[in-house]
Formats: sequence, C-alpha cells, structure tokens
Amino acid sequence: MARDAVIQIRDLVKEYGSFRALKGISFDVRQGEILGLLGPNGAGKSTTMKILTSFISATSGSVTIDGLDLFANPIETRRRIGYLPESTALYTDMVVYDYLQYCGQMRGFSRKQIDERIDALAHRVGIVEKLTASIGTLSKGYKQRVGLAQALLHNPKIVILDEPTSGLDPNQIVEIRELIQELGKDHTVILSTHILPEVRQTCDRVVIVHRGEVAADGTIEQLEGKMADQHELVVGVVPAAGESDAALRDALGGMAGVRRCTVGYHTQEPVEHVTLQLSASRDVRPEIAVWARETNHTVVELRRKSMDLEGIFQHLTSDR
Amino acid sequence: MKQILVIAKRELAATFDSPIAYIAATVFLVVTALMFFYGIDGNEDFFEARQATLRPLFDGAPWVLAVILPAVTMRLVAEEKKTGTLELLVTLPVSDLAIIVGKLLGAVGFLVVALLLTLVFPALVLKLGSPDLGALVGGYIGLLLIGTTFLALGVMTSTWTHNQIVAFILGLLLCVFFWTATDSLIKLAFEQPPMALQLLTFKSQFAAFAKGVVDIRNVFYFLSVTAVAVVASTYMLKSRNWK
Repeated sequence: MARDAVIQIRDLVKEYGSFRALKGISFDVRQGEILGLLGPNGAGKSTTMKILTSFISATSGSVTIDGLDLFANPIETRRRIGYLPESTALYTDMVVYDYLQYCGQMRGFSRKQIDERIDALAHRVGIVEKLTASIGTLSKGYKQRVGLAQALLHNPKIVILDEPTSGLDPNQIVEIRELIQELGKDHTVILSTHILPEVRQTCDRVVIVHRGEVAADGTIEQLEGKMADQHELVVGVVPAAGESDAALRDALGGMAGVRRCTVGYHTQEPVEHVTLQLSASRDVRPEIAVWARETNHTVVELRRKSMDLEGIFQHLTSDR
Repeated sequence: MKQILVIAKRELAATFDSPIAYIAATVFLVVTALMFFYGIDGNEDFFEARQATLRPLFDGAPWVLAVILPAVTMRLVAEEKKTGTLELLVTLPVSDLAIIVGKLLGAVGFLVVALLLTLVFPALVLKLGSPDLGALVGGYIGLLLIGTTFLALGVMTSTWTHNQIVAFILGLLLCVFFWTATDSLIKLAFEQPPMALQLLTFKSQFAAFAKGVVDIRNVFYFLSVTAVAVVASTYMLKSRNWK
C-alpha cells in the first residue's frame, strides 16, 4: 500500500440484483497522479466512479479518500472531490454564471469567493465569453467545459472525470486533454475512457477494468513490459511456385522458440504473411534469414509486433 | 442549513421559469374566484347572499390546491432523474434530506405567491362588510399548511419516477385521496364512524382553520404528514441504485 495514496479502494463489490457490476475491485490512486480507468463499455468504470463520488452505494468493500472512510463520511469526502459525470447534465434553464454561483453556494462559498474562482476558471477552461449565455444554448463542447468548471470550482484535491472527451470534436478533444494534463499539476485526477491514445497522452498510470475486475494496474511502460514475452513476428514471404500454406507453416513454425504459427490469407499479391508467436527472449530473425537464403525464398517484410497498449487492452478484455 | 435556502431559491426561480407555474396560479385564481362568487356548488351568489364570509373560499381552495400543486412539484426530482442532473446534485456536499427540504421549500414559495394572489377576495369582503378577521387569518394558515402537505406528497411521488406525468398523476391521486376519499371511505366502512378515525382525515383537520381556530394539534397533524412524506422522499432518494 502506497503511503501517499489519496484514494484506497479495497474489494469493492457492487451488485444490481443478481448482476455483479463490480466483483471486488482494489487499487490505489496516489497524490498528484493522473490515473486512467480503462475498460470496454459496461466494464464497471462508471460504477466505480459513481461509488467514489457517493452517488451510489457499494454492496461491500471499503474506500478511503484522503484518509476518510467514504461510507462513514460521505459529505466530507464530497468536499474533496470535483466530479464530471458521463452525462454532463446541467440545468439547461440557467445562465452559466448563475449556475456556477449556485454550485459554489451549495459548497458553502461566499459570492465574492465564487466570483474570484469563476474569474480564474473561466479563463482556464475557456468559457469567458459564454458566462452570460444560457446553458441550454451551449454546444456540447462548451457544456463539457462548464461541467469542468463546476468540478474545479472548489479547487478540489481529487478530480473525477467520467469520459471527459466523449462526444467532442477532435479540436475540442485536444483542448480538454491539454487541460487535464495541466490539472495533474495540482490535483489528483481519475479519468475514465475507452479511447486508448487518450490514456497514453494524459495518464501517468492505468487501471484496466474488465467485467467488474481489475485486469491490469500499472504505468503504461510497466504494462507493456509485462507483455514483452507476448511479442509476435510477422514475416512477409513470397512462396515458391506451388508451395502450400502447410509447407510454409512447417518450415517456419518448426523453428525453435516459435509457439504458434499462422499463415495469413491468400491475397492477390504474391506475398504470404506468416505470423509467428514467439516465447520470451527468443529472436528467430537470423534463422529466418538463413532459411530464406538456403531455400531460395524472398522475404519482403520482417516486422516485430510488441504488445502496445492497444494490444494489452485487447488481450485482457477480449471475450475469447 | 444555508444550502436548503440555496436549493429553495433555485427551485423557485426554475418553477417560475416554466409556464406550468403561471398556468397553475391562473387556474387556482380563476377556480377559487368562481367558488368565492358562486359558492362551491355554484348555486350561491356572493352578492345576493349579502354575507361578508370567506367560507366558500376556504371550503373550495383545498380542492384546487390538491389538483394544481402536484403539477408544481412533479418536476422537482423526476426531471433531475431524467436529465441526469440529479447525479451532480446528490454528489455535492449536501445531505439528501437537505435536498428534499430545499425543493419542498421552493415549492412552498410558489404556494405563498399563489395564496397572496387570492388576497383580493378578502380585500373585497373587507370593503363590503366586516368579516371575521380571525377566520380570515386562520383560514390562510390552514391553506398554507394543507398546501405544504400536498406539496410534500407531490415531492414524494416525484422521487418515485423519472416521468413527470406519472409523478403528477400519482401526486394528484394521493392529494385528492387524502382530501376527500379518506372521509368517504370511513363513512362507507362504518355506520357510526369512530371519532378518532374521523379526526384523522384532512377534511376534519382543516375544518377548524376555516372557522378561525388555529389549534396546535391541527398544525401538528399537517406538519407530521409533511414530515412523513419528506422522510419517505429522502429515503427514496437515498436508495438510488439505478445504473
């Protein structure tokens, strides 16, 4: 257990009737880190976040936020958290400024304090020119920014963002990502997403959730390191005249260190793609070169595929 | 709790932001005016009766309140459930009880405005004669109390669903049931209804106010029913387990 953990989640279980949305999730979030909660839709990301923000209760398990037991001190822990829900539902009948004032007052700040915060935040999230607009008239991107401003209004220690970039256009996504990265300087951030490049760009650490369980937990480098023994080699080779797939598979698959060999589809091209799954620390490329020379094959491609984040994600969360 | 007032203020503003508040207030004013001038059955004439009385107003107004107030409360929780704003509201550092009480207070704000509008009738009676001022004050206190009770029932049904229409119909049924049906049911069930049961109906509890008697027991009765509805609403809000 890390000493500087701001959030400690232990054996968190959430049941909806007979459906177990969370089957005992445990992980820590450390001070000042940006944690990406990753997983396919329905994996339990939002459920975890909804419990952390005390929107819903847990069936069992414990959560400590900033040293406080979440279930015993729900009001105190809420003060330390800023939350942007997946839906980003705001009161559409309110003007942006009034809405932020309302949120600030609900958090017990004075009008003057809130004004100062709104002033600083409006620049930061880029809603200065929209402060007098009605929320109902705003585009999705601006609504998201108002939601962010609301989440940051009380300068919370922890910021929880549920799919902060969903539904935004590419430019808006870049802007929001930059903003999140900046947030990491003085807040602890948890964000959920199923967009992998987002994680690589913004997150210090990743927790992959799958079917209500933690499937992986670590920095991107750590996860990629763990999967290093899973690497693959793709060999593009021109078969000899009349040579069958089976013959190719026998030739290449028979090499030491090859765990599995698949011969790709026939294409119009005369090149056959053979994928070799290799066991750890085994490099068969020199052998392939020798084989090609001796059997007079032409190798046009030799490509190593290490498991990147996408690969890890698919590996861990594919249902097969 | 400061936050209760913050919520009440927002809800009151939101109520008057929608046409429903104006429709409800207009319906209330027009129907109570008809009852005031023509009697609750429509066969009394205010000017012919030559009586400086507000009885028709106090007899009839709870009926109208039972119908219009659920329309004012129907959106309070149901709409937030539907649009998802409830998620942000309940994750603010406020208790669920404060949220319900704040929303109820906002609705009471509307009730006060609606009741203030009907002050034209007493003003008219005062101009023409000398009505019993005690009955006037008592009647209004009674209307405020029974109205608040109806609002609390409406808030409760609003926590049951994310559909405003359903919340309205359930609220309407509950309010009308408590206002009239309890009375009739007791009379149906017993030839000689026990006094205790008769005393428990909204009608009998409200009757004293209309006569100008503000009895602490009647006040306590309506506040208790309100409290039960508030607690039931809070419990419903707490049990949020939807996905």
